[in-house]
Amino acid sequence: MLALSRKAGESVMLGNDIELTILEVKGEQVKLGIRAPKDVAIYRKELFEQIQAANREAMESAIAGINNINELFGN
Amino acid sequence: MLVKTRFFGEAQIDEEKILTFENGIMGFEEMKRWTIIYDIEKGADGAISWFQSLDEAGLALPIISPYSITDVYSPIVEDELLKPLGEFKDEELLVFLVLTIPGENPKETTANFKAPILINPANKKGLQMIVNNEDYHIKHKLSDTLKNK
Repeated sequence: MLALSRKAGESVMLGNDIELTILEVKGEQVKLGIRAPKDVAIYRKELFEQIQAANREAMESAIAGINNINELFGN
Repeated sequence: MLVKTRFFGEAQIDEEKILTFENGIMGFEEMKRWTIIYDIEKGADGAISWFQSLDEAGLALPIISPYSITDVYSPIVEDELLKPLGEFKDEELLVFLVLTIPGENPKETTANFKAPILINPANKKGLQMIVNNEDYHIKHKLSDTLKNK
């Protein structure tokens, strides 16, 4: 992983159309500004990881014989 | 083509039923080819289908149309993020939610409202997308949404 030191107000370019700016550094928190084309999806990594985990968990769904939501509730 | 499936043994899948997910789905980014399998005998109403990998027989997850479990599902996404789907009309886009069904307690089943699977039926391209809706969560208990219906 590339590590760059930057101060508040300074930026990093990713390619030529994504700009990452350090807006503020306060104790343990860093506020980032991101300028990117609209077709670039930007998420907090935690959210992405939660969805990865949810998909993996869904793969474990063992429901041989259940093919309809009503059957889940014993109807 | 003849494919091995997780729950239905070997199944004959028409070429036109092959879905291409260029970025896979989250957690399974390398799996690009999928299909949807359902049990016709059980009828379409409230039907749970299986989103089955064509690259790895052991990978299949249950999916359902949001409209089977809730009256209103209005995901908010940036149009630009749907570019990988190619050209489509909004009303033609297929939407599915991923279900997690705990084997030991199916009543605790949850649906992922936050990351629907979207498919363009015209070119069979699909993707899984994180939507902006603040009140959509990764684990909506089905028993709650059905109660509210």
